Amino acid sequence: MTDKNRFFDRSHILPLVAIGIAFWIQSELATAEDAPANSASAVSTDATAFHEQIQPLLQKFCVRCHNADDMKSGVRVDQLTATPEDRQLFLLKAIQKQVDDGVMPPVDELQLTAEQRRTLNDWIVSTITAARARDTKKNGSVRRLTVSQYRNTLKSLLLLEEDLTESLPPDGISKEGFTNQSHTMILSPLQVESYFNIAEKALDLCIVDESKKPVIQNFRMDLGTAINPEPCPDKLILGANNFLLNNPDVLVTELTPKKPFAYEPFFMRKEYDFIEGYVGNDTIRAWKKFNSIYHSVFACMRGSPGYPKGQAFQVVPEGLLLRPAIPSPEIFGQSDTYGPMANFKISLRELPEEGNFRVTVRAARYDDGLLIDSDSPALANDNAISVPLSELTPNANAFVLIKDAGIYQLDVVCGGDPAKDLFSVTLGDRQFAGELRKLTFLPARPNDEDKSKELASAFLLVRLPVGELKLSARLGDNSKLRRLVFSRLDNSHESAQRFSVFENRAPSLGVYLGLRRDCGSTLTQVGQPQRVASGELEEFIFEGAINDFPNPDVEKDNVNYLAGIREIGVRSEYTDGRDMPRLKIRSVEFEGPYYESWPPATHQNIFNASATENEPAMEARAILQSFAARAFRRPVTDAELDAIFSVWQKSFASTGNHRQSIKDALLVVLNAPQFLFLIENSQTPEPEDLDPYELASKLSYFLWNTAPDQRLLELASKNELLRSLDTETERMIGDPRFEQFINEFASQWLSLDKLDVVSVDSKRYPRLTRDAKTQLRREPVQFLAYLIEQNLPLRNLVQSDFIVANEIVASYYNLGSQTENGFRFVPIKHGQENLGGVLTNAGILAGLSDGRESNPIKRGAWVARKIIAEPPDDPPPNVPRIKEDDGTLLTLREKLEQHRNQQGCAKCHSGIDPWGFPFESFDAGGLLKTGATIDPRSKLPDGTEVKDLNGLKAYLANDRIDQVAFSFMKHLACYAIGRNLTYNEFMFLQEQGKNLRSNDYRMHDMIKFVIKSDLFIKK
Amino acid sequence: MGSSVQLDRRAVLKGLAGVTLSLPLLEAMGKEVAETAPRRFCAMYTANGMSLPKPTNGIDEWSWFPKTEGRGFEFGKSTEPLSPFRDKLSFMGGLYHPNGTKADPHLCSDMWLTGAPLHNPKPGMFNSVALDQVVATHTKQYCRQPSLVLSIDAGVGFLSRTGTISYNQEGKPIPAENNPRRVFDRLFRGDRASLATQREQLQRRIKLVDAVLDNAKSLNKQLGQSDREKMDQYMTSLDEIETRLTASEKWIDIPIKSQDYSHLNLDANSEGEPHEYYRNMFDLIALAFDADITRSVAFMLNREDGMGVSDTFPVKLGLNRTHHSLSHAEDKEGQLAFAKYDLFLSEQIAYFLGRLQQFQDINGSVLDNSIVLYGSGASTTHNPTNLPTLIAGGANMGLKHGTHWRKPNTPMSNLYLSILRSMKIEEPSFSDSTGVLQDSVFTQV
Repeated sequence: MTDKNRFFDRSHILPLVAIGIAFWIQSELATAEDAPANSASAVSTDATAFHEQIQPLLQKFCVRCHNADDMKSGVRVDQLTATPEDRQLFLLKAIQKQVDDGVMPPVDELQLTAEQRRTLNDWIVSTITAARARDTKKNGSVRRLTVSQYRNTLKSLLLLEEDLTESLPPDGISKEGFTNQSHTMILSPLQVESYFNIAEKALDLCIVDESKKPVIQNFRMDLGTAINPEPCPDKLILGANNFLLNNPDVLVTELTPKKPFAYEPFFMRKEYDFIEGYVGNDTIRAWKKFNSIYHSVFACMRGSPGYPKGQAFQVVPEGLLLRPAIPSPEIFGQSDTYGPMANFKISLRELPEEGNFRVTVRAARYDDGLLIDSDSPALANDNAISVPLSELTPNANAFVLIKDAGIYQLDVVCGGDPAKDLFSVTLGDRQFAGELRKLTFLPARPNDEDKSKELASAFLLVRLPVGELKLSARLGDNSKLRRLVFSRLDNSHESAQRFSVFENRAPSLGVYLGLRRDCGSTLTQVGQPQRVASGELEEFIFEGAINDFPNPDVEKDNVNYLAGIREIGVRSEYTDGRDMPRLKIRSVEFEGPYYESWPPATHQNIFNASATENEPAMEARAILQSFAARAFRRPVTDAELDAIFSVWQKSFASTGNHRQSIKDALLVVLNAPQFLFLIENSQTPEPEDLDPYELASKLSYFLWNTAPDQRLLELASKNELLRSLDTETERMIGDPRFEQFINEFASQWLSLDKLDVVSVDSKRYPRLTRDAKTQLRREPVQFLAYLIEQNLPLRNLVQSDFIVANEIVASYYNLGSQTENGFRFVPIKHGQENLGGVLTNAGILAGLSDGRESNPIKRGAWVARKIIAEPPDDPPPNVPRIKEDDGTLLTLREKLEQHRNQQGCAKCHSGIDPWGFPFESFDAGGLLKTGATIDPRSKLPDGTEVKDLNGLKAYLANDRIDQVAFSFMKHLACYAIGRNLTYNEFMFLQEQGKNLRSNDYRMHDMIKFVIKSDLFIKK
Repeated sequence: MGSSVQLDRRAVLKGLAGVTLSLPLLEAMGKEVAETAPRRFCAMYTANGMSLPKPTNGIDEWSWFPKTEGRGFEFGKSTEPLSPFRDKLSFMGGLYHPNGTKADPHLCSDMWLTGAPLHNPKPGMFNSVALDQVVATHTKQYCRQPSLVLSIDAGVGFLSRTGTISYNQEGKPIPAENNPRRVFDRLFRGDRASLATQREQLQRRIKLVDAVLDNAKSLNKQLGQSDREKMDQYMTSLDEIETRLTASEKWIDIPIKSQDYSHLNLDANSEGEPHEYYRNMFDLIALAFDADITRSVAFMLNREDGMGVSDTFPVKLGLNRTHHSLSHAEDKEGQLAFAKYDLFLSEQIAYFLGRLQQFQDINGSVLDNSIVLYGSGASTTHNPTNLPTLIAGGANMGLKHGTHWRKPNTPMSNLYLSILRSMKIEEPSFSDSTGVLQDSVFTQV
């Protein structure tokens, strides 16, 4: 146990007041060690004064508790000198505040006189002023690339799609939440070993033997009723809950694609012997021979049976129709683990072992009808077009004449309750099927032969063209079916309007790759879903690196029929359950490894020097020079090139293998500190300008999280970058790579990862599903991206009349009807009192809960740290946990008050809880609570009273906007330079940052302000 | 990992016995290590759970878990063969994988040593690292083989029907070996061609690490006032890797301790007599521990859900039904037969513990320097709580045995973290662990 830990066992009074000192400065203080040290050499004329007047005061009133042994609240006063170090300036500022406020020394201790207080205060003011007048000593920096920076850099350097960085240990997280801070970056032998292995693997993938022909697998599966004239005669199985399409509806063709180079086509193995198979849920053992491509490639629907509305899928002559794939719940046993409903996949035994692949789906939006919900009444009346049963039998060649094109409602009239029978109808070429819902009685018709009462059900809304419409229908055994009735709807009819919205929706096509297992889903999405808006078949292309997807890792000679089955999933994506025209899949084609050229681009990217066959050494040197310059993000020095080249020479001398020798040399480049580190090399203790290349790297790792591009390096080579910072910043913000910054920065600043680890009580928050969580986590990122893209004033961060949402997120806030943009995040005017700004992002609020109850402390501490940069101290050790279920009837707030009234806790919590109470109107799912008595009033630390969260938002957006802007810039600067700020830098942002207020703290202004300040451009 | 590049001098010296002493002196070996007892780990998995008969069947004495808790426990009929080792083992009750209850129960062998959230896998991840591989990462510098992964069926099986219980740092399954002769040839014979390849690869890697180190040193000289700390860490890491590679290379030349192999029947295989097969596999593990060839072993004794050859073993033993089918039995006769298969397995485990006990080692027997974990991923079939778990050995690592410890709803990963800590592997956590076991058989965690 450390001395700090004893704190609670003994007197309470001292420590609790002491916490106050640490209150707002703690995080600066505790982690400021990595900030450049201030010059200690400056001799102060005040040295004598310090020794004669100040030190005795400190000794007498402070050091007894704040010394090396006791270090109350982690604070040491005994180390203060006449010329304090930079990190101690934060402490001085805190002492000043504590003494000023009369908080220190504690009430029951010896007190300073007014005169002594003044002396101390004056000294602090003059010392800080003097300290700030001195230049901060700079000593350059060496920062390792973060895992994501390394991944991005490797990818752009090698043009390699595949992600090889899984084996790297995750980066440490700093107190501010960042992973790129030099003091949290550890390097271990394990990590360096991983760098070696990754580099070796990457080079093996990039560099090929040009003389060998590549082997390419290419096949297509066509889908449609009776598309296969020679279907597989065997009954195929694929384990429980796999619904194989009928053999005649599936056609697999192996192809030999046209390529501008010679290659070897790969044909899948069709003959197999297996000893292990399944009958139902039991394993059976008996050798059996198989010989058909349809025992190697299967077309299969998976998911729990049933679909809430209509059929999950339907095979029609033109292809396979899919409804949106409804995600499954997370936990086994509640309903299923077999992946979403309506989940189509191709299951197959063989895919390439490495390289990139391409999946091409030919798909269209089906010209669909809308199945009617149970609450719409049947319209069947005598004015509508009625088709009697006699014309509907499958053999009858029935037609109905449609005189007016338009939207029709189709009602089904029955002579009795059809129970759960499936009703299906074909209108022209189009097919529709579903259960009949909500049958209502119609008055018996006098002319009918059947006197029994008729039941009618509204079934379908559909747009019909003018002319004769071919027609057939089926309901169970048809004995109950009487007639169909078509009623044309006015465009103003509510159902017609609903249909108009429906028919303009475009399903999203998603492609997945994974492996079969008996449970759960291992399918991982390939790229992004694509919208299918046309009724005509179009090709949709999805690409990835095969090893970025789950691989069955099964030995080749496995004797189980179901072992090692790969899967290519194809889905119509589900957002929030809105009605969606079905997705029509005509064919799915796979090609891999996918090469545009041979040798592939990854190879040519390295071997880009003109081949000089007789002089491999010349070629090698040119290759290495060009590669190393790109890897080091600056020109290589002669000495560096000599060293790298000598690796090639030695390797070539011993093996005579040029390619292998190049690999060896490149392996050294990819493990060199010049590649792995961002180095700012200082020559003197004085602040220096960054070297232009250092600036290029600093800028691009800040705004793109990856290496500088050609243009930045060119500007650096001409030494023009420094004066182009404004235009370059604008250009970089507009570049797609800027997303890599937003993702990192927003997630880390706002602690979005907290949502990942919350285990949600799904009974209380059934809507906070796995998929909702994924999208809600993206919301603050997209929001911030939008603020920056539009260069909006910062006040929107806390108070805005719009949210930025996709269909899932909007729907979570009950605003689903405001967008038809699928997975795309767009601004939506919310028109609600309780939305807008990140404070009410449900993902953030849920992340700051325990998945059951809202938590004002977590939320309060988050506001204090992230939004206004007044971080509270860490909780002291041995704080008793507040029990939520302790049998008392107190609310959490009341329990908290009890807790705060304990002496050890009050001081800290007075800086946390007031920020958290206004959030009490929001539940652990991040939405407004209903029913319960809630008290969201709060008295903030400066005495302002707010009535609820809206009050807090208004207060932050108006009264405290300077502090919010400071917090944003402080976090931005910290992230940009990869270390904590010095006192001077901290004060600089606080004081000079305010100048941006006149232009409303626009986002670009703040980013440029940080970039153009000395803290960024000097080393 | 620090500077733990020392080799076990004892192992080397034993290896040197009777051989010329002009072999390279291993400078990586530290004095303090020489007298330190090795710390080893062996995990053994049995599928489909154990027999815990229904009370109405009136055969409680055949329950795998002892009826009473604490030090006064009595062995049941199916664990009776283990009673001679009463002071060297403990029953552990109430353990479970929190992720196990969320996932399909057929995944219980996949996650037994990993605790991974297989119900919600990380995209691209297959599983997470298994306990034996964490041990291997920390013990590999002391021995020839980082780990030995064995199973009743060779290979890996497939996800949800796994044929191995060991997963590497990336969560990929490590193919298991199942043939005693192949295991013996690889461990004790060392095939020349593969040694030559191994040496070549090591030498190439050493050269490249050297080149990187040279380059880094010259860069370091050019650096002016810059922060040296990161560079220092980097150089130290490179140094350590080089030392480790050099040590690995030297192992290739050091002969293996001479042992008596006469009792081995390398023709035994999984298609033959079950006990003959298991005994030979156990003999190989014991010999490998004794010669310090490896310090981490994982052995899947049989497979879940009727997979593989082991499903037929109860039939071979005259118990009429297959393993998976017995595990589903509800009737008295079936549950008794299932318990009798447990009895058969207990006999095999007792044999193994006996072998480890016979080999002398620093400060005691090999068993005293080895933690043996034996258990299943289900208590009875498809019930992933109260996992039947036995811990044996490890007296020199602070394990105090002879008890039936029980604490309901304790994460299995806490047991695993306790094993790691006992082995002086200072990992902050393992998988979903929430801490180490308190007041249990582990006294040095």
